[in-house]
Amino acid sequence: MKKFILKRILISLVLLVFVTMIIYGIMRCMPTSFVENRARELATKPGSKSFDEWMVQLNAAYGLDVGVIQGYFAWAAKAVRGQFGDSWYWNQPVLQKFSSVIWYSFALSLASFMLEILIAIPAGIAAARKQYSMTDYVITVIALIGISLPSFFFATILKYIFSIKLGWFDLYGIVGRLHEQLSPAGKILDMAKHMVLPVITLTIVSVGSLMRYTRTNMLEVLNSDYIRTARAKGLSENRVVNHHAFRNTLIPIVTLLGGTLPGLFSGAMITETLFQIPGIGYTSYQCVMQGDIPFVMFYMLFSAILILLGNLIADVLYAVVDPRVRVN
Amino acid sequence: MEEKKEQKMKLDDAQRVRVLSPGMLVAKRFFRNRLAIVGLVIIVCMFLFAFLGGALIPYSQSQVFYTTDEMKKDYAGATYITDYQTFPAENVKLPKDSNSKTILAVTTGKLIFTSKEDRTFGLSPIGEGVYIMYELIPEEKDLSDTDGYLQAAEDETNVFEADGQIWLYEADGTDVTFYEATEAAVVCQRSFTPYEADTVFPYAFYCNVLKAMGDGETKVTVDGDTYTIVQDDESSAMIYDASGKEYAYVSDMNINSVVEGVFLTPAFKEVVREAIDAKVETFQYQDENGGNDKYILERKNNQYTIRRYQETKVIDTYASPSKEHPVGTDANGMDLLARLMYGGRISLLIGFVVVLIELLIGVIVGGVAGFFGGWVDNLLMRFVDIIYCIPAIPLYMILGSIMDYYQVSATLRIYLLCVVISIIGWVGIARIVRGQILSLREQEFMVAAEATGISVKRRIFKHLIPNVIPQLIVFATMGLGDIILTEASLSFLGLGIKYPAASWGSIINAVNDSYVMTNYVFVWIPAGLLILLTVLAFNFIGDGLRDAFDPKMKR
Repeated sequence: MKKFILKRILISLVLLVFVTMIIYGIMRCMPTSFVENRARELATKPGSKSFDEWMVQLNAAYGLDVGVIQGYFAWAAKAVRGQFGDSWYWNQPVLQKFSSVIWYSFALSLASFMLEILIAIPAGIAAARKQYSMTDYVITVIALIGISLPSFFFATILKYIFSIKLGWFDLYGIVGRLHEQLSPAGKILDMAKHMVLPVITLTIVSVGSLMRYTRTNMLEVLNSDYIRTARAKGLSENRVVNHHAFRNTLIPIVTLLGGTLPGLFSGAMITETLFQIPGIGYTSYQCVMQGDIPFVMFYMLFSAILILLGNLIADVLYAVVDPRVRVN
Repeated sequence: MEEKKEQKMKLDDAQRVRVLSPGMLVAKRFFRNRLAIVGLVIIVCMFLFAFLGGALIPYSQSQVFYTTDEMKKDYAGATYITDYQTFPAENVKLPKDSNSKTILAVTTGKLIFTSKEDRTFGLSPIGEGVYIMYELIPEEKDLSDTDGYLQAAEDETNVFEADGQIWLYEADGTDVTFYEATEAAVVCQRSFTPYEADTVFPYAFYCNVLKAMGDGETKVTVDGDTYTIVQDDESSAMIYDASGKEYAYVSDMNINSVVEGVFLTPAFKEVVREAIDAKVETFQYQDENGGNDKYILERKNNQYTIRRYQETKVIDTYASPSKEHPVGTDANGMDLLARLMYGGRISLLIGFVVVLIELLIGVIVGGVAGFFGGWVDNLLMRFVDIIYCIPAIPLYMILGSIMDYYQVSATLRIYLLCVVISIIGWVGIARIVRGQILSLREQEFMVAAEATGISVKRRIFKHLIPNVIPQLIVFATMGLGDIILTEASLSFLGLGIKYPAASWGSIINAVNDSYVMTNYVFVWIPAGLLILLTVLAFNFIGDGLRDAFDPKMKR
């Protein structure tokens, strides 16, 4: 087991080197770079140096005067020591900016993750228990609608109904206008209120796949021999489903959920941007748009690590939860 | 699972007549699934809507529509004339300073003045603010005993006629100075508007009309023509010629058009003058074409502005749904229904092209990796892992802004977008194909195939790939929906399809303006519903296909 995990981690490290290399190369290709805009801005100031002089100076200051490959290794050499430099757009250390925004994303993802579990698993099981019944059809259709809903469209509808027509929530942002005057508890409630629509959006858009996954697995379990045995020996249907079937269904579900745990930190770029929640997704969106290489590199590396970690956790959990599986 | 269906059967097997072919079985199971049928119908409708509808609709996707809008526009300006206007007589050239001297003379009451060029002029009042200017030559003679002078003194005018000559006198106490006078000009605070733009009034006309108005007469004769004066008040009058046609309008206001090429008729000016006197804010005027326009009169100090509602051609933005535009128009005045149809073509096209590219790359890479195994498999799969690790949306965004910089044309952008999405997306297919082939490779029928000496190529493409096809079809159908969603999200963020090409996502992009989101629901709801329906339909079909291909899950 240890050997397996160690091997996976080593492979992951190699993968990360290539991933960051590709991303760094693409980022450097971005012609509307941050430096160019900045130089143009500075050159228009009265009594300033020319655009070209600024370009040379800024390129040197931001470490862009070396080639792509050299630049990558310079970045990587610092990155392995945990130095990600300063964000150009935010004018503060990348890690500081990251730690100030990540918890918004985490809160958002965690809330929708919990809601998802609470909705999807009971619904999936209910659908599987009565396959091809009305319940099954309704749940299947709802799940598929959730999967098919474009998040931006659903978010817009929510905004239109709840923010504009009913006026219950603000259109944008994480805090209200009077946030500073509220008591500490009031501040938290204010933020929670601003999270409601994004959480609903994220939940509805992603609940479908977990619902269907639960249904499929439950069906598979219900068709297995030991369930037939349980029924044959005269157990009540509730006991069959809730004890024998449900526990076995949990194996793949826990594996899947374990794999998505790291994803709670990765932020929801589109949803956060739509509601202007200052989480990691919205922050990175702005950075990508501005060509802020240090922050984007960090974000991409972070996301890649989360993906790899998710896969690793899923594989390990698979073996841990189900003793029939042997890792090799 | 599928291999069961592949089992060979004798030609005269009794079961053969009853058993359907595997393909037919799948089709039968598929068509028994109601949701799948619904999905199929929706997709067919979408295709008809996008491709047939786009061909039938009379508008193109980038046709801009115009509408006429009533806009208040400045039409004319009116002011009271406070300066003295000088209308010189024929063949008289007045000195340059005559105007300023005249004003001085009128305000001081000293009616005789000498210009810089040493010419003497005198003014003789003939009405309220109306003077006749005479050029004077001092006369030594004392004419104080002539009848003309006595009459003039009685009438309190300073001009008289004697010996066939006009004389002007200036009384200073008992001292009277006489001048021999020649009419030089008429000075007044009136404007004359001819009825026809090119009419030029002779001096006598100005002179006689003003005299007649001062005397309150209704007939005036100029050069043998008789004109009728209808006075509105002291200072304005309409003048008709002998045939009773309007000839000119005299007024104490300057009324000028501010619109180029518009000649204001006397009749219009008369209406304006009356409106100003009546202190109304709006008035109507019927022009010669019979158009009855409404005008607005605005006063600012002594300046009056006449504005009118004018029809102006403007781009028909955000027009509400109507007969002509069943879904309305967008921010650029383009018909939304046409854009939805053309956008549907692009969205569907991108979906299919991307899935085809993904299948091509995925099947080759996955097939090779799975079949050969060993280091080939390891290498290829690590490559797949690398691409799998790259967060897709930020990458699309970076590539989108690179395309922005190079100003890639809207059409080329569509193809590039296909390539970009498929380069990221093929890894899923490669993993499925590899996984399937790895397990199939170990099965007996493959051992048999190898034992019979079939070539590698044939083994892969004739025996392995067909067994993977069911999963591929399911994955591709569901993938179509995902790709349409991805493209819509990118276009929504403004990084996918760009104006003038349309896509469903870029139509919804309009909601980034909260005003549009609030007030023009018809702009974004239909596009969103179309995306939802299409993706949903692909998912229904994919779901139905999976159930149909995998009978083990049934019942």
